[in-house]
Amino acid sequence: MKLKINGHSVEVTSDPDTPLLWVIRDELGMTGTKFGCGLAQCGACSVMLDGKVARSCVTPLSSVGAAEVTTIEAVEADPVGQRVVEKWIAHQVPQCGYCQSGQVVAATALLKENPKPSRDDIAAAMVNLCRCGTYNRISDAMLDLAGLGTAKDGETL
Amino acid sequence: MKDNDPVLMEDVAEGAPRNLSRRQFLVTSAGVASGALVIGMGIPLTPARAAGTDQMAPGTNVPAFLEIRPDNRVRLLSPFNEGGQGIFTGMAQIVGEELDADPESFIVENAPAGHDYLVVFGKMRITGGSLSTRSSYDTMRRLGALGRQMLLEAAAAQLNVAVDSLTTEPGQVVHTVSGQKIAYGDLAKAALDLPVPDPKSVKLKDPKDFRWIKQPFKRLDVPDKATGKAIYAMDCKVEGMLHAAVQHAPRLGLKPGDIRNLADVQAMKGVHSVHKLDGAVAVVAERFWVAKLGADALQVDWQEPTEAEKAKIRYMPADFSTEAFARHLTEAKGDGTEAESHGNIKTAFDGPGKVISATYHSQYVHHAQLEPASTLARFNADGTLDIWLPNQAPEQFQAQIAKVAGLKPEQVNVNSPLLGGFFGRHFLYPGANPYPQAVALAKAVGRPVKVIWTREQEFLRDPLRPMAAVRFRGALDASGMPVAIEAISATEGPSEALRGHNPKKVDSNAVEGLTGKAYAIPNRRIAQIYVKNPTSLAYWRSVGHSMNDFLYEGFLDEMADAGGKDPYDLRMTLLKGNARLTNLLKAVGDLSGGWKRGPFTAPDGTRRARGVAMASPFGSEAAAIAEVSIDPAGKVVVHDVWEAIDPGSIVNPALVKLQAMSAATLGVSQVLMEEVIYKTGEPEARNYDLYPILPPDRAPRIHVRIVESGAQMGGVGEPPLPAVPAAIGNAVSHLTGKRVRSMPLDKLTLAT
Amino acid sequence: MKKVLTTFIAAIIVVAGALAWYVTRKPASPFDTVAAASAPSADLIAEGKYVARTADCVACHSVPGGQPFAGGLKMGTPLGDIYTTNITPDPKDGIGAYTLADFDRAIRQGVAKDGHRLYPAMPYPSYSKMSDADIRALYAYFMHDVKPQAVANTPSAIPSPMNMRWPIALWNAAFAPSRPYSNVKAHDAEWNRGAYLVQGPGHCGSCHTPRGAAFNEKGMTQNSKLYLSGALLDGWYAPSLRSDPNTGLGRWTEADIYAFLKNGRNGHGVVFGSMLEAYNNSTQFLSDADLHAIAHYLKSLPGDPARDGAPFAYSDATMAQLTPAQRMSVPGAQIFAAKCSFCHKLDGKGQDPWIPPLAGATSSLVPDAASQINVVLNGSGRVMANGMPDSYRMPPYRAQLSDKEVAEVLTFVRKAWGNHGGPVDAKGVAALRARTDPASPQVIVLQMR
Ligand code: FES
Ligand code: FES
Repeated sequence: MKLKINGHSVEVTSDPDTPLLWVIRDELGMTGTKFGCGLAQCGACSVMLDGKVARSCVTPLSSVGAAEVTTIEAVEADPVGQRVVEKWIAHQVPQCGYCQSGQVVAATALLKENPKPSRDDIAAAMVNLCRCGTYNRISDAMLDLAGLGTAKDGETL
Repeated sequence: MKDNDPVLMEDVAEGAPRNLSRRQFLVTSAGVASGALVIGMGIPLTPARAAGTDQMAPGTNVPAFLEIRPDNRVRLLSPFNEGGQGIFTGMAQIVGEELDADPESFIVENAPAGHDYLVVFGKMRITGGSLSTRSSYDTMRRLGALGRQMLLEAAAAQLNVAVDSLTTEPGQVVHTVSGQKIAYGDLAKAALDLPVPDPKSVKLKDPKDFRWIKQPFKRLDVPDKATGKAIYAMDCKVEGMLHAAVQHAPRLGLKPGDIRNLADVQAMKGVHSVHKLDGAVAVVAERFWVAKLGADALQVDWQEPTEAEKAKIRYMPADFSTEAFARHLTEAKGDGTEAESHGNIKTAFDGPGKVISATYHSQYVHHAQLEPASTLARFNADGTLDIWLPNQAPEQFQAQIAKVAGLKPEQVNVNSPLLGGFFGRHFLYPGANPYPQAVALAKAVGRPVKVIWTREQEFLRDPLRPMAAVRFRGALDASGMPVAIEAISATEGPSEALRGHNPKKVDSNAVEGLTGKAYAIPNRRIAQIYVKNPTSLAYWRSVGHSMNDFLYEGFLDEMADAGGKDPYDLRMTLLKGNARLTNLLKAVGDLSGGWKRGPFTAPDGTRRARGVAMASPFGSEAAAIAEVSIDPAGKVVVHDVWEAIDPGSIVNPALVKLQAMSAATLGVSQVLMEEVIYKTGEPEARNYDLYPILPPDRAPRIHVRIVESGAQMGGVGEPPLPAVPAAIGNAVSHLTGKRVRSMPLDKLTLAT
Repeated sequence: MKKVLTTFIAAIIVVAGALAWYVTRKPASPFDTVAAASAPSADLIAEGKYVARTADCVACHSVPGGQPFAGGLKMGTPLGDIYTTNITPDPKDGIGAYTLADFDRAIRQGVAKDGHRLYPAMPYPSYSKMSDADIRALYAYFMHDVKPQAVANTPSAIPSPMNMRWPIALWNAAFAPSRPYSNVKAHDAEWNRGAYLVQGPGHCGSCHTPRGAAFNEKGMTQNSKLYLSGALLDGWYAPSLRSDPNTGLGRWTEADIYAFLKNGRNGHGVVFGSMLEAYNNSTQFLSDADLHAIAHYLKSLPGDPARDGAPFAYSDATMAQLTPAQRMSVPGAQIFAAKCSFCHKLDGKGQDPWIPPLAGATSSLVPDAASQINVVLNGSGRVMANGMPDSYRMPPYRAQLSDKEVAEVLTFVRKAWGNHGGPVDAKGVAALRARTDPASPQVIVLQMR
């Protein structure tokens, strides 16, 4: 099966029901996309399919079709993704970092769809779990990216 | 027990001498987009540098910690692992300060197992107990200073001048008179071949001259974590590696019997082999997903252990339920073994004032770190074993892995990649770490094997924070002031669960948070009734405090209410004369805009109330205020948490703040929604579906104020947690008029 | 088909009458004078095993982890729990002492060897259509291939006098035909084979045919318009198997039906709820010819446009409600986006064939939302095809969503993309929550030996 991923076209041999996550991690050897639950619960495995966020642990290889897969490894190749990464660093968002590939991908997908999201848009789109409790900084970084300023003075890092 | 003591592991593994010639190996990540990524771990040392390693005090063998590259970048092998707490950055700041090298030029990795790295109070090594910075601060500063001294000596030799005519600027040695400068990178080779000076010969900086310590220095690990480049155990791979998935016995203690469909699974395309292990069956395959499907498919006839076997292990009976166990704990008889006592508890309840009593409960909780456990093991031709696994104590793991593998500790190279969260998950726990499986499988198949536990298998073996039922009694005097408090906790503590119960002793980790409270209540008695627990138990972020402060501070509010006192004022009164804590309590009051308990109507129309609580965990002090309302579905909404934290003194305010926000959020999660439920000997939840953790839409805004009292340095990673659930519980109790005595709150039917 | 007793017991009490002679007599069996072979041929045993698959005996007479056919499955009724029995050839605890005629009476007439009437949780009204040949083969299988298990039966917890069994005989007289299937001349052999399997051993009507006041199936053959027209049973709504485009198989081809029964999935849906058990234990083991015959027969059952309503047509108007900007303000839309859309996709089309669509799904179009409520609260068990578990499973959401939230998200789904199943209220969710448990995430395989 052919897979379009991060600007390349590759031939993959996994079975059609294999979750895209494991095709990416095992067969293609890219480990930026994380395994947290395998059950669409956490979002650590988020990638983009044609620019839209998808959870790769519940995306069978066969349903990717001709869609362009973008993983965290290629996020910085996108100007929107680059801005997200910058702000993620500026706001010192990650802690353990394990959920953060997914968070950055989800943020990038939202901003590609809507460069000026409202607070509600952000809340609606940023639903990935973080066990380390980086939620406040994620919303601060998002508000900053959306041009809505940061939450309250002195509360970001 | 004092919180400054290293309480977590008494059996300190010493750490084997490092096998320096074999330290270089590759972790490859050959991907479509990432290309080949090569990570070298360990520092290759010349024989001269390696000499004497074992004789030197931990934390003094500079070449074992530092590599300074020609481009002036400093590679530091940290004795503590990075799992989000920012310790790599903190270590770079501390060492960089005395080395006089910009922490920004540091590359930090976790050090391998070895005697040199036992820097926790100079005798052990764990990343836990909120010990890292406070236990090694002076040692790591001295290490930097020793490194600087060696660079100075090398420069003196090169320039042929006296050492004391030289000084440093960040990253370079300067000859003051001539103005000559030599970059560290150009001196490093010579410098690190010099003998390490006597540690007593170097002088540490006067804190007023600090350039980096105390600054909100940005974290070094953040860029890689924001771009998916950070490597966790789960991500490690080596050439020729096979993947393994397991099916764990549904209950602890069961053994694999016949596998009905063994041949079918063996015949699956891509399956290499199927293996019976201790309490598990593993499928080894070329790719993980195939192994995972195979492991799920296995129809294993799980066998009960014999009575003799049951006596030796933690056996989970088929009828165990948490509901029944909670009753069992509540019914535990007796006064327990005393953990703390002041005044005279016998007569204290005879006064004329009110006496109140109540039983409080804590629940089992999962660590639920986002990265499930995994281990990669590779046997080498020379008989050594390379192993990659998430861990909080490399030397202890090294000793145990060596036993399992039948090797000497020095033949085991322990690699500790970044931790995808830990919260106490990655200590040595019997049956809860995948390394025995990885070692057995790598041995059996003659190839490197990586075992990954799916979330379902992780939750089946994650050891839990203990359950407890705590019986409180409190007496008030005629004016409504507390004069006596007694708390008897029926529970098994995590330390006695791991190391064996001593009938004469209390497990201090079981009662901390009931003990060690600073309130001046003249008569008090804290005790534990030991009740054996069939699940495996563990340390969970802030350990006993994570539950006990919730229980104690809740009952204290009950006493305040019974005596007609405001809970904030009562705490102030009970802390009179304690400048550090009254100051802290005042700080959190100020941070929240002035204490107001409510209930009041917020601008958005919701009815809200606030609660306050304090805790004294891990050598630090914390005070929290939480504001809550109840939504129409009866669920608690936590709007804001204000927390003041006093760790005595700090290294990096940004890191302290991060940790406080993180710990507070975990506290919110456990008090609102977390509980492991057993029904018939099996945990009901195997994934986040039935064990939800705090999602973003329920996360409150957390406001942190750091107070530096100048007291002895305390911990930072755990101390901000315990006060938060308690403050929330107290707010909810006040708002609803119904006293909350157990967690999680989502289980209760609440209405205002 | 499990736990059908929910309202049955209450109904039969009302039917109480006298005629002790009638209600305690043992009915006749064509095998009364026939002796079973003491050493049946391997072929006959194999044939019997296949019949056991068609009749799905194992689903009710085994429990996960228990011995094959040793019974013990709990079935809740309002009057108390009952337990399925040991049907292994153990002489004391099982049916080892049963003659072929005794066996036949139990299966086709619901009368045990000692003369007591079985609760019609045992689908003997359907099994009564089974052929003599199938009964003979089944007997050979149970007596000679199933291992005897000395597992005592668990007595029912229904208190006296409600535990009297004789009124069932009257119920039988009224509702259980007890006549083997005979071919319908107007149809070909394939159709007749399909009809036999569906009406007889497959007992599809037990779940899919609506029931009357006495808990009787309202129709046992294609002659009734209500036969297999969809029914609520035990917290699941079993949809119509007739050619109703919305609520039945109207949009399915014979090939679709075949694929569903063979693989557990097709572009229209994936087995879940009670059908998952029927698939895991029964339909996937049937021969291709039999599955095609079933599909052929089912496709011959006409739909009822009056009941079914306007045929579903996909509408993408919903997509506008699902943008991040909109979904916070549409009830249920955000929950759908955050919890459901990653698998079922924002357009509701699922991921064919691994993850079912919600747009146009029968469960989104039937008026009774029980199945959807149930599957949202409790998730679904693991589909096992060819001994291999499915790569994907539906997680339970009972711990994450309140009754109100479940109602909201389902109300949203049931009117999205052209669905018109109608709203869900929180009370219905609460009621199902109280009496159901989450599905196991572990693979459950009921063994036949
Ligand atoms: S791993 Fe895919 S959502 Fe958790
Ligand atoms: S940063 Fe650790 S899980 Fe989010």
